[in-house]
Amino acid sequence: MAATTAGRVLSLCRQFQKGLSISTVLPLQPTKVLTSCKAQLSAFRPKFCLLHINNMGTSLAQQCRALHTSQWRRGLEAFFDETPNWGEPTVKSGAPWTAKQLRTKSSEDLHKLWYVLLKEKNMLLTVEQEAKRQRVQMPSPERLTKIERSMKRLDTIVQERENALRLLQTGQERGRPGTWRKDFFGRTFWYRFKEYPIPWYLNRRYKRKRFFTLKYVDSFIRRRIESHLHSTILKKKADLENKRKLQEKFSKLSATT
Amino acid sequence: MRLTALLAMAARVKVPPDYRYGTSRPWTVGAQRMNPPGKKRRKVFVEPIQPEEWSLFKGDTVEVLAGKDSGKQGKISQVIRARNWVILEGLNTHYRYIGKSGEYRGTYIASESPLLVREVALIDPSDRKPTQVEWRFTEEGERVRVSLRSGRILPKPVVQRRDGIVPEQWKDGPKDTSPDDALEKTYSASLKTFEEEIAEATGVVETRAGRRTFWY
Repeated sequence: MAATTAGRVLSLCRQFQKGLSISTVLPLQPTKVLTSCKAQLSAFRPKFCLLHINNMGTSLAQQCRALHTSQWRRGLEAFFDETPNWGEPTVKSGAPWTAKQLRTKSSEDLHKLWYVLLKEKNMLLTVEQEAKRQRVQMPSPERLTKIERSMKRLDTIVQERENALRLLQTGQERGRPGTWRKDFFGRTFWYRFKEYPIPWYLNRRYKRKRFFTLKYVDSFIRRRIESHLHSTILKKKADLENKRKLQEKFSKLSATT
Repeated sequence: MRLTALLAMAARVKVPPDYRYGTSRPWTVGAQRMNPPGKKRRKVFVEPIQPEEWSLFKGDTVEVLAGKDSGKQGKISQVIRARNWVILEGLNTHYRYIGKSGEYRGTYIASESPLLVREVALIDPSDRKPTQVEWRFTEEGERVRVSLRSGRILPKPVVQRRDGIVPEQWKDGPKDTSPDDALEKTYSASLKTFEEEIAEATGVVETRAGRRTFWY
């Protein structure tokens, strides 16, 4: 397994080992422990910045030496980028994960990748917020869009697999139950069910909802239908007019050339 | 998930159906100044060209057939499909001042005007003359542009990526997955749901039975 993924997945595994217990076959490697301190975390150094703009006259080392290491500081390293990247105007990043690549991955891999992407996203959001605070440009903001797209595609793949399994086993097209209902204004809509701890006849707020239409609304419904039909007719007419104008303008052009 | 989808939708620029596309792209400040949300302009009729039929790409060398610089050849620097426009480098220019402030009149620059696709023609590389082009399939099954006069294939121009990355010279960073790992297949179809597989892999055993809930 390449060191790159191993390092990433392992740092993730270490997080998991705190909460759940997973047996990982991969050998453990020490992460890059950030020796420079995060002065944001201390109340005494509020002017520290990731982007090396404010120097405050004192060197970073001097500021850091004043603080002592403590237990509560560890674990927040993940919110910050690697030290060589601090102060760089651009940071190199690869292409986002494509749906085709993600489809070949097992559930565990996808699960681990989700958290790797989430941590990277949190890190980038921290950088973005710090850049806003310092009123400078965030270095390489396209990294955020890449992460967001990768996460969206991952979610799509998981949904695809769930949909397929559900269709196969139950034949249900939707994961969440629902039904067609009429609201008080006579409009038919898809009502999605919610999960409650009490039955509907004991739920006072639910009983106040009205999924029926009274007789006096009929004339308004009729007017709505009429206006809908009128707008469809107008749209059709507009389309025909558009086609006619295009024919007139561009067939004349092709006739002359 | 739904909230993130909503937020993502808000980030993308929403353009009304009768939007008039200009030389500035819709998300730029200039375009937003030209087309503020309530503005309605006279409709511009654009010749309907099918996406399969479109044969002009950024980086192509074309000859101008009509207009001020007719007869000259230039490289396409921008294509605006919504108006069937093509902007060539340094051709069909008008002059204007840019960066005016206070008393300073600004820099005098030449800015290119867009040309319609019917006013330009692709150049046949064999005789360097304008020619009509058709899309045809090669014996391998590849779809290519073929010049109708000489039958020569016009290759699609290689344009540098906007981020300056050359895929052949790319070196993976510490956070990048190697191509082998990215393409490695670890998926095996099973009748377990995603949650069940993760619970199995992590050794989570749920013995609690949830309380009775009602769906309505």
